[in-house]
Amino acid sequence: MQRRLLLPLAAVALAAAASAAPPPAATGAGALDLVGRVTRERRVVAADGTVRIVELPATGAAPGDRVTVTLAYRNTGPVPLADLRLANPVPAGLAYRGPVAGVPEPEVSADGRLFAPLARLVVPSSEGGSRAAVPDDVTQVRWRLARPVAPGAGGSLGFRAVVK
Amino acid sequence: MSRFIRRALMTGATAASLGAAPGIAGAQSGTPAGTTISNQATATYSVNGTPASVQSNVSTFKVDRKVDLTLVAQTGTTRVNLSQSDAYLTFTLTNKTNGTQDFLLDPDQQNISFPGLLGSDNFDVSGLRAFVDKNGNNTYDPGVDDQTYVDELPADRSVAVFLVGDVPNRNDAAFAHASMHVTVARGGAAGVRGTVLVEALLDVLDDPGAEDIVFADGDSDGAAPGDAPRNGQARAYAVFEIGDRAVDLSVVKSSRVITDGVNATFGKALPGATVEYCLVVRNATALTPATGVSLTDRLPTETSYVAGSLKIGGTCLLGGGEAQDDDADDANDARVFSGSYDPATRTVTAGVPTVPGGGSVAATFRVTIN
Repeated sequence: MQRRLLLPLAAVALAAAASAAPPPAATGAGALDLVGRVTRERRVVAADGTVRIVELPATGAAPGDRVTVTLAYRNTGPVPLADLRLANPVPAGLAYRGPVAGVPEPEVSADGRLFAPLARLVVPSSEGGSRAAVPDDVTQVRWRLARPVAPGAGGSLGFRAVVK
Repeated sequence: MSRFIRRALMTGATAASLGAAPGIAGAQSGTPAGTTISNQATATYSVNGTPASVQSNVSTFKVDRKVDLTLVAQTGTTRVNLSQSDAYLTFTLTNKTNGTQDFLLDPDQQNISFPGLLGSDNFDVSGLRAFVDKNGNNTYDPGVDDQTYVDELPADRSVAVFLVGDVPNRNDAAFAHASMHVTVARGGAAGVRGTVLVEALLDVLDDPGAEDIVFADGDSDGAAPGDAPRNGQARAYAVFEIGDRAVDLSVVKSSRVITDGVNATFGKALPGATVEYCLVVRNATALTPATGVSLTDRLPTETSYVAGSLKIGGTCLLGGGEAQDDDADDANDARVFSGSYDPATRTVTAGVPTVPGGGSVAATFRVTIN
């Protein structure tokens, strides 16, 4: 009699566990919150004449101005997210300059297929053969997170660029 | 007279505007003004082994209009003549803005001499006016180049502009300094003179719909007060220099008997005697050479020209000088001077390319008394 009672309980527990896990969504919408921003250094003159450099949302920038592209991510689901790769193409009209301070070195690419840290990236040279890549060659920037992102956890990544 | 010619130099370097990064601006004006730059990221991850992806929002901004220009005089001085009308100075205007602009042209007399340019300003051309080189031949064509502003000059393109004036007939006139003042104006409508651009305020949060206009031009004339950095204007200076002036020329003619066939010395003017004539042209204007001087002399009656006797560049008493042939073809004449004798008109012609200021040149020829 006792054994027969246990089995149904176990079955019920299993069934409950199965229904509690949210079904994995095909696009993951709602599990990872991803917000991008482009900001620009602006000189702000205070009433007493002092000038500060602040980062404000870029609504306009002139050729040669420095901008910062930031990417904030957060796990809004109840399950850890593994193998997180964040890819931010360098927008047309911007030239890559490097990661924001405090952010791990990203992998960059010039052709969209070969990714490596900038110091190790190689591109075809105009005379044939290849040469070391320079910041202006970068068209894609991505980060691969080694550890899964726990529910509720997140972070911010970004890179500096210049308006062409 | 030492010659010191210097261009009215334009730096045109973009001012150290907000966060300008080295190695980007260079000679290119950059991304066209009004271009939308759009940023979007994607993330891929796995949930319990199932792959998924998500895209971020799209954030955009517009590229500002960054105003810059250069204006350079093509030569520091341009030689003109007294009484010349439509004399002109040529400048090269380059639009370094990242957009097509009109440019307003404003001519100015400079009565205070600009340091570094040749000479001291001592006269004005009259009717000073400014035109753009509409037919693009780098030459002022009156009536054709009649537009007083530059219309729709694209980014990174150049055009010639002219300062035009009429030179007075004053013999003491030497140098007239003038300047071309250019102001950047709105483009976008061909055939319509644009309004002067006004810089958008930079310390106020932008209106996302409006276009920012940023002045990034340098101070085109350095220490001189004619221009300032980041004002959307440029100014360049150049000089009209009087090239041709009146010179005080005079000719003195003398003669001596060479031989008379009778007396060994002190020949007399007898029939058969050989007489040498000497024409001396003198330029009494110091420092100004007379160019293209031609001496002509008609033989007196009852004399006959001694063929091949014309010599130029020697002296009256000692002779010498460059021998000339008598034909009318100057191209086969001796190195410096040219000469000919025309039997039909009985005229000797001596060509002197230059009589130096304060100097003289002698031409001699011989005749026999009939």
